[in-house]
Amino acid sequence: MGTLEKIEAIRNGELSATENVELALERIRKLNGKLNAFLEINSKAMEEAGEVDRMLKAGEAGKLAGLTIAVKSNINVKGLRATCASKTLEDYVCPYDAEVITRIRREGGIIIGMTNMDEFACGSSGETSAFGPTDNPAAPGYIPGGSSSGSAAAVASAMCDLALGTDTGGSIRNPASHCGVIGVKPTYGLVPRQGLIDLGMSLDQIGPISPDVPGSVLLLEVIAGKNQAEGMMMDVERVSYGELNGGVKGMRIGVSPQFSNLTDPRITGVIEKKVEFLKDLGAEIVEIRLPHIEQALSAYYLIVSVEFFSATRKYDGRKYGKRIESVCGEEVLRRIMLGSYISRREYRGRYYQRALQVRTLIRKELSLALKQVDAIVGPTVPKLPHKLGTRLTPLEMYAYDYLTIPANLAGTCAGVVKAGEVNGIPVGIQVQGKPLGEEKILRVMRALEVESSKSG
Amino acid sequence: MSDSKDQDLNPKEIERSAEEILRVFTRVIESLPVEEETYYGQELVNPLRPDGEPSPPSVRREFRKCFISIMPASDDDGKLRVEVARWAR
Repeated sequence: MGTLEKIEAIRNGELSATENVELALERIRKLNGKLNAFLEINSKAMEEAGEVDRMLKAGEAGKLAGLTIAVKSNINVKGLRATCASKTLEDYVCPYDAEVITRIRREGGIIIGMTNMDEFACGSSGETSAFGPTDNPAAPGYIPGGSSSGSAAAVASAMCDLALGTDTGGSIRNPASHCGVIGVKPTYGLVPRQGLIDLGMSLDQIGPISPDVPGSVLLLEVIAGKNQAEGMMMDVERVSYGELNGGVKGMRIGVSPQFSNLTDPRITGVIEKKVEFLKDLGAEIVEIRLPHIEQALSAYYLIVSVEFFSATRKYDGRKYGKRIESVCGEEVLRRIMLGSYISRREYRGRYYQRALQVRTLIRKELSLALKQVDAIVGPTVPKLPHKLGTRLTPLEMYAYDYLTIPANLAGTCAGVVKAGEVNGIPVGIQVQGKPLGEEKILRVMRALEVESSKSG
Repeated sequence: MSDSKDQDLNPKEIERSAEEILRVFTRVIESLPVEEETYYGQELVNPLRPDGEPSPPSVRREFRKCFISIMPASDDDGKLRVEVARWAR
């Protein structure tokens, strides 16, 4: 059952919110021991579902009425733990709801639980969690990708209807690709970040993960829009993506040869078939140039390390949590050390300011490319996921992020939809758009999704 | 929530790997063209402005100067000087 069909079933009374929550809890009981996608279940979910059922009967149903929503463990949900999958915050019970959670509750969405992730979102594999790695439901024994590993795995295994993830350098799109689900990184500043425990404040965005494109559209329409309490937001009141099934006829779709230079040829083969399909549907395929896409990775890791170092200074063990350096894992400590070094006054110009200049370069290149086309398509992750427990060097691990990072540096939007499989492992196609170009990328994603469902 | 495995971290080794990453990444970007720095991906609305428009770069630079001028204490380079808490002395 698709997301829209489920909403319809709940509204028609064929399925109650309480029954839907029971179904989700049953799936979690059955599967979470193996997948480790959830870190905590909302013990009040059934009670909250009862309240939604009462509202449904009274004709006051919101857009998400009765749907179960999983939340990445770096977003504040009142009464639940936002641990960031770290020992640092293992006892941190959120004192308030993040703005996105307030909006979900207002529309009748039921928070089913908090999902596993890479510790403080530092990772692309889902393995750096202090509470154990998450398995990939679509390719058991392989990494689910990260850092929103639990959210993608929970959606892929139908333990929830929809999920929230966060994306700083690809953390929604990477696990969506590896798990074969939909993920959207909205334009920077479109979705409120109030209540998000940040990794890199100039790059982070909260976004939806869903089993189908309409599910992501629905959740994005609920969470997007200006929040008066935040200074870094786009001047957009609310969004509505009505033209989802408009097709791609007449659209100009960009492809770049630089993508295939960085990508496993087996993945490139899957993507090229989808590009041909878009052409068959009437889209015009245009070659674009992104000459410095490879260098974006270096700039990104220098910038994010500085911002992460700054963000973690509050974890000094005085007011809440434990001192981060005393309890954190290897990757978190490495980024703190890197950020601390770069932040020193004598090195600031050489490393940090230089990285910010490269950010400008990437932003200009992507902006120029997006002026020529309506959307850019290409692979999401340049290589196939490794088997859980495989030891990779940090640089090998960072290489997963080559193709997702540019959208974060430029603040543009991007989404992922399953394109096919290589040896039974899902491969996602990334669709990138202009700032506030979500409607166009969602249209392309929907066209690809409909085609996939037809070809079975 | 499952328990984590006790990690046997070697800070010296992690520090060495951080230095290696810094070396590699700096080498990659050092030859690229010099540009103005980008702190945020988008020119975002400033809710403190009545017209709701983003502040132009010149105004932002001016703001920084004004901000530094009213800081409680600053050093010769204009960096904020903070006081160590009494209880920590």
